[in-house]
Amino acid sequence: MPMLVRTENLTKRYGTFAALDGCSLSVPEGEIFGLLGPNGAGKTTLLRLILGYITPTSGTASVAGFDCVRDSLEVRARTAYLPGEARLFRRMNGHRVLDFFASLRPGCRREVADTVARRLDLDCSRQVARMSTGMRQKLALAVVLAMETPLVILDEPTANLDPTARAEVLELVLEARAAGRTVIFSSHVLSEVEDTCDNVAIVRAGRVVHEQSLEHLRRCHRIRAKLNGPLSPIPASLAASVAIVEQGDDTVVMEAGDSLAPLLGWLSTLPLEEMRIEPVGLAAVYDRFHRAI
Amino acid sequence: MWNTAIWKKTWGDQRVLVLSLVALWTGFPWLYIWLSAQIPMPAFQDVLLRAIPKDWQRLSGVPFTEVATHAGRVALAFVDPVVVLAATVWGITRGSDAVSGQLERGTMEMVLAAPVRRVAVFVTQALATTAAAALLCTVLWVAVWTAITLGPWAGKVDPLRFLPAAANVFGLMVCVAGISAGVSAVDSYRWRTVGILCGFYVFSILAKLVGRLSQPLWWTGYLSFLNAYEPQRLVGDPAESWRLLAEYDAVLIGVGVIAYAVGAVLFARRDLPAPL
Repeated sequence: MPMLVRTENLTKRYGTFAALDGCSLSVPEGEIFGLLGPNGAGKTTLLRLILGYITPTSGTASVAGFDCVRDSLEVRARTAYLPGEARLFRRMNGHRVLDFFASLRPGCRREVADTVARRLDLDCSRQVARMSTGMRQKLALAVVLAMETPLVILDEPTANLDPTARAEVLELVLEARAAGRTVIFSSHVLSEVEDTCDNVAIVRAGRVVHEQSLEHLRRCHRIRAKLNGPLSPIPASLAASVAIVEQGDDTVVMEAGDSLAPLLGWLSTLPLEEMRIEPVGLAAVYDRFHRAI
Repeated sequence: MWNTAIWKKTWGDQRVLVLSLVALWTGFPWLYIWLSAQIPMPAFQDVLLRAIPKDWQRLSGVPFTEVATHAGRVALAFVDPVVVLAATVWGITRGSDAVSGQLERGTMEMVLAAPVRRVAVFVTQALATTAAAALLCTVLWVAVWTAITLGPWAGKVDPLRFLPAAANVFGLMVCVAGISAGVSAVDSYRWRTVGILCGFYVFSILAKLVGRLSQPLWWTGYLSFLNAYEPQRLVGDPAESWRLLAEYDAVLIGVGVIAYAVGAVLFARRDLPAPL
């Protein structure tokens, strides 16, 4: 699959502090790519480097083959960006904000913004200064999702939204993918990322520490068992697909990285007192990298 | 270098300030001339030419004999704080909003996410600010013209003589707005930009005053852009007034344009911090 976004050893330093350190990522066209990490991990720095707000200390980033520093205008022509904390013009009303951003981008269809605003149940006649934080977020989303660009970057798009609007935003994100657009989705809400993304990158202290396919993760299971006898060794035929992640005197936690079927036969031979099989889930993967700090 | 959407937005942003200054500068010449006319010319001349020490002439920039005329008295309106401070406030307010104001409010973020060059944003705002300054100076001159023509000093002074003075106000506005936009282009907080500019303005006033009052320190006047703001000297002989105006405005508009140009280059190259 062709890559829409590529970064190679992308680094941003402020003095001795590395806000982003040697980040190499590839985001395929037409997929939803999640960015996960705690505050200050470097997610927003990565997005701001892609958009050309800041210049890298070293390394490169490109969108659709256009360099994010040299060809920033071409990059932004292909990108719609929702900042983490979108701030709009307080004196304008919602309609005028939508008009303004539509007029900034040639070819932008204003009626799409109205449709998105309606779907988010937003009253655009109200002045921005009189809108609640959630309403402003909805307005910013209407601005961004109305732009029919190949790349959409959403930095915490559902922050401050009520559950209904949250669900609608996720629906809009899935529709963007269905329309062949690529979405980079940065969020702290793991369940949202799990429900929408195809791949995720986990960022910690300025470095990409893990990339995970969600499709693969959905096939992964965690098996928690209480034993009343000794645990027999994992058969060689299963060694590649199962790993013991925790072992106590009479308990064991294993992770199966692929289909469960071949594993079930071996499990049935174990001296099990209790057993629970659950999907591994993104939270467990995330915790592997962030609880350990 | 140009963006129509930014042009319209900038006019929307400066609308309240423009309307306020239009109201102020429309009414002020009327009030000023009416109040001045309450003091008869002989009494004014008596105070100015006899009671005030001759040395103080250096402060006014023109001989008291020129000030003690109808034209001289109207010309003082252009150095009145209502005009000078309003022009300065205009320049600082609009200039400081160019970059640091919008960064502080966080509104620059989404504008620059669009395929718009930073230089186009900066230059279009500068042009809108300059166009509004020209409009305001036109309003000021028209108000002076009507206040003279229809006021108590009708027929005693030619209103056209104040055109160079109004153009000097325009030069001041471009200069202050340019310097403000230049500082704003490298800053991220508007309060700090305004603070720096206020300090710079006070320094310019002091440098001009010291240069005027102290013989050995005459050169300090050249450290002040306000040395090129002398509207009271631009109401005498028309040919001389236009020549002087060309000199003054070349300095003021030149400094303003250079500051804008440097600001545009710095803004295009700098890192933009995330909104706080």
